[in-house]
Amino acid sequence: MTPTTSLKREPAAQAAPSAFRAWVYLIRLSIQRQARAHMMIWIALGLLAFTLFIVALNTQAGRWSMSYWRYPRRVGPTFEQHMLVLENAAALPWSPGGGEVYAAITASFRSYLEHASGFFVFSTWIVFGLFTTFLMPLWSLSFATEALGREREARNLLWVLTRPLSRPAIYLAKYLSILPWCLLLNVGGFALLCLAGGTPGRRAFVVYWPAILWGTLAFCALFHLMSAVLRRPAMVALLYSFFLETIMGNLPGYSKRLSISFYTRCLMFDRAHDFGMRPERPWIYLPVSGPTAYLYLAGFTAACLLVGIIVFSRREYLESAVA
Amino acid sequence: MPDLLESADPGRRSSTLASSVVNGPLSVKEEVSTDGGQATTDEAVLYFENVSKWYGPVIGVNQVTLELRPGITGLVGANGAGKSTLLRLAAGQLRPDLGSVQVCGREAASAAAKHRLGYCPELDIFYEEMSGRRFVETMARLQGFSASAARCRTEQTLELVGMADRANRRIAGYSKGMRQRIKLAQALIHDPPLLILDEPLSGIDPIGRRESIELFLKLAEAGKCLLVSSHELEELEKLTDHVAIMAYGRIAAVGPLVRIRDLLDNHPLSILVASDQNRKLAMALLDLEEVVGVEIEGDDRLKVLARQPRRFFQKLADLVLEEHVELRHLETLDDSTHAILGYLLGAGK
Repeated sequence: MTPTTSLKREPAAQAAPSAFRAWVYLIRLSIQRQARAHMMIWIALGLLAFTLFIVALNTQAGRWSMSYWRYPRRVGPTFEQHMLVLENAAALPWSPGGGEVYAAITASFRSYLEHASGFFVFSTWIVFGLFTTFLMPLWSLSFATEALGREREARNLLWVLTRPLSRPAIYLAKYLSILPWCLLLNVGGFALLCLAGGTPGRRAFVVYWPAILWGTLAFCALFHLMSAVLRRPAMVALLYSFFLETIMGNLPGYSKRLSISFYTRCLMFDRAHDFGMRPERPWIYLPVSGPTAYLYLAGFTAACLLVGIIVFSRREYLESAVA
Repeated sequence: MPDLLESADPGRRSSTLASSVVNGPLSVKEEVSTDGGQATTDEAVLYFENVSKWYGPVIGVNQVTLELRPGITGLVGANGAGKSTLLRLAAGQLRPDLGSVQVCGREAASAAAKHRLGYCPELDIFYEEMSGRRFVETMARLQGFSASAARCRTEQTLELVGMADRANRRIAGYSKGMRQRIKLAQALIHDPPLLILDEPLSGIDPIGRRESIELFLKLAEAGKCLLVSSHELEELEKLTDHVAIMAYGRIAAVGPLVRIRDLLDNHPLSILVASDQNRKLAMALLDLEEVVGVEIEGDDRLKVLARQPRRFFQKLADLVLEEHVELRHLETLDDSTHAILGYLLGAGK
């Protein structure tokens, strides 16, 4: 140390500080620090790789079709076998004109079975069954609980709190810093799955990506709020994802309306309406309209951010101060 | 913004201390200049007004009123006395349940106050993956400086704390002393008028301590207000004689150590005296009203217990001249921060 050194600030160093510049830098710094791989992200990437592998195998085997479905379920012949019966029936002595109508009907069934049913199957199994209820919450939490949660756990949140940034600005900056990563993982991961799914997958991406985007925003806001409130947010977020989103989100009745994935799926159903997608039993599923789902997701995101700002502004993060 | 280590105006070179306390066993109200000058700043740099802070049912700080102006104030007290809570309140990391804490007239937790204070926490945690240089520059950027200004300030501040040549290594590999210097650098990066330093000398080698103390003194000379908490009482005494003593969440006393010692009437000052005529001196001393007792210490020394030390020393000087006694040794035994702290807290430290 050279205390005799007189520190004469150069003109460049005397530029006045700016709160906005500090805020933008905090977003940049937080994005950079999020890039450091940690366990939850490795788990998320592992799940992505595994799911990609399964989807690619199914695509290779041509499983994105209803041809393999059975009717009556489990015990009856496959739809392909039903089709063969129908097509063979065309050889029967039909009345004049009747044969052509029959042939047209069977051809349209065949066309749906071979080309359009793939979208339905891919949507049912991968998009609705796996992605919205399991992968999207899990991937969202792997980043969203970390922006504040990891700094609280590492006890270095103090360094941001001692800077001249308001608490709401810090909270919002942290939220914005997790979005690129969450969107990359959710929308990017979804895009990869869709690409691996072949033609039905590519169509699914075009139809569903806005719903994935809105769902991601809502999940991130919720998990970010958890990280401001709870000391171990990742664990609670995991429990929430498994129990509330995966289990309650699929229960009949109104209880599922507590889950974000319900509204994401309603948005998807609305977007895919023209492709004949709808809940299997609408009278049990009780879906809401597309605009209502949009409003809910946007409102939920805004509410979570507002509550998070209030909590973060009032809370004393003692773990950052205790030596 | 004034330059570090250079007074913005000559008047601020006279480092002044002023403090008041209205609770605790001692009540001191004073305005003392360390170099004989007058206080020049009307506005307190740091002001606690009837501040109380609870942690659930436990009270951390109890109705503290404290006012600090430019200069160095040492904060001492036993573990759990409330020192760290007081510093965190000053740094805006905690909010008082009652009362208010103000930094240059702004609420301590506000962004405006954080432009005016540099906080060097006791906590030894950084962004460990960064180099020291990158960390300090990051703190400058978070302070709102442009990239070029932040780089410039980083280099100057690292030079000041003696880390310029070692700052490219990762913080994770730093010694405790190097980490302390980096912590100090981030607190100084924006030239704040108030520095809150929690155990800044902890873990630093003796040479580093001396350099740190010199730096703190120069910062105080430059008109900055430093509130320094330290367990290293001997080092703290080298830094300042102006202390705030905390006990049980309250400020037990604040002011120059000598003044605090004077007010401790229940604990007469112990003075070791040796002369060529100990017996004659002892008899004469017992006639003084300030002297409580005289004990023979070994063969050639007297231990004198005296109240009102200033008057006692004046009378001792007169007595030595009148009685033609040659003083060979004169040493006060318990006017150190340690001893005063022990008296104020009742036992031990």
